[in-house]
Amino acid sequence: MALELGPELADVALQSGGPTLDNFTDEGAAALAVGLAALAAGYAERGIGAAAVGAIAEDDDMFVPGLIMTVLPETLVILALVVVFIVG
Amino acid sequence: MSAGASNPEYVNARVRARRASLFADEDYRKLIRMGPSEIARFMEETEYEREINALGTRFSGVDLIEYALNRNLAKNFGDLLDWSQGRIYDLIARYLRKFDVWNVKTIIRGIYTDTPAEEIGTDLIRVGEIDDPTLDRLLEVDEIEDAIEVLSGTLFYEPLAEAYEEYEETGVLVPLENALDREFYEHLLDDLGRPQEGPEAMYVEFLQAEIDFRNARNALRLSRSGADLDPAAYYIDGGVLFTQSELSRLVNDYDQLVDHIADNRRYGDRLSGALTRLRDADSLIAFEHALDAALLEYADKLSSIYPVSISAVFSFILAKEREVDNIRAIARGREVGLSENEIEDELVIL
Repeated sequence: MALELGPELADVALQSGGPTLDNFTDEGAAALAVGLAALAAGYAERGIGAAAVGAIAEDDDMFVPGLIMTVLPETLVILALVVVFIVG
Repeated sequence: MSAGASNPEYVNARVRARRASLFADEDYRKLIRMGPSEIARFMEETEYEREINALGTRFSGVDLIEYALNRNLAKNFGDLLDWSQGRIYDLIARYLRKFDVWNVKTIIRGIYTDTPAEEIGTDLIRVGEIDDPTLDRLLEVDEIEDAIEVLSGTLFYEPLAEAYEEYEETGVLVPLENALDREFYEHLLDDLGRPQEGPEAMYVEFLQAEIDFRNARNALRLSRSGADLDPAAYYIDGGVLFTQSELSRLVNDYDQLVDHIADNRRYGDRLSGALTRLRDADSLIAFEHALDAALLEYADKLSSIYPVSISAVFSFILAKEREVDNIRAIARGREVGLSENEIEDELVIL
């Protein structure tokens, strides 16, 4: 709504402090990026974790490889954190 | 039927680990040179340890091996059902009904031959949809008709009840056993439809192959034995290799039947070696083993195309059954004094 009305009204919106796209700052976007990346990492780990636990149940030696495989998608979150440093 | 999310990843990881720990082909070569008690000792050092130890005091020799194999088979396949949830559970459970069929057949045969209940009991493979109390009740009955009554409420009741009339007229078990087989195979493809691509399509293709091979096997046996039986009674619906009328026509002409299988686009190439041997040597057993091997190879191939699907589970089920059959063949073969070459012919080795 505020976007359509143009920059004149944007100031008003900022002053009133309501949740609009105009006070969606760069930091906020970066935080959202990290959050989404974490969600995606969690989803990826769901399947890998299930498979890893299955493998460990059959063979204890699989614990370390299973653990490493399970946390691999965490790299997604680490890469998303880079965005925070660039913006901040 | 079970609700909730499916967990193919977990089941796949466990199944693949078990698949990898099955006996390798070299192990069979070693086993061929052993006697029954040595085989039992060899098995004790593998994953059969628990079964061999549990049964070791009561049985010995080939019986020990046989019962340990059956029990291990039931344990492994019971595990599959314990692990799985949701869709994958449904698919596995449906396939494992084949042991229900085996159990009911064993019990009916046992009743027919007046075998004592304990002896039948040791031959059962307790996995599948029919639960233990029902199986125990089945073991206690003395008449086939009563056994069918015990099964009321299961999938097999109606076809068995129908087949029973025929059994009463003829006095042979064939109609009852056919009814069981057909019921099993025709329910395999329930609610799957004909998907064109993806894991489901491969699953359907695999089951069709299994049905086709069963039809081919029955047709070849009928054709070979020249028995005057109605081929339509053996026909299982759902395959792509034969239609019912084709099958009835081909059974009377052995060469044409073999040609028909060889000309099939889907299986012709895969079975060409076995078909040539079938033409030359007339060995039906070798051909049936080739069918088993082809099916197993097929399941292996599918499981590498679709890593996280039901295919790996089938590959394991087939490979495990093959292992059990092979060990049993070796033990029985040694017991009756077959030569190493003769035993090797009996094995299904890829």
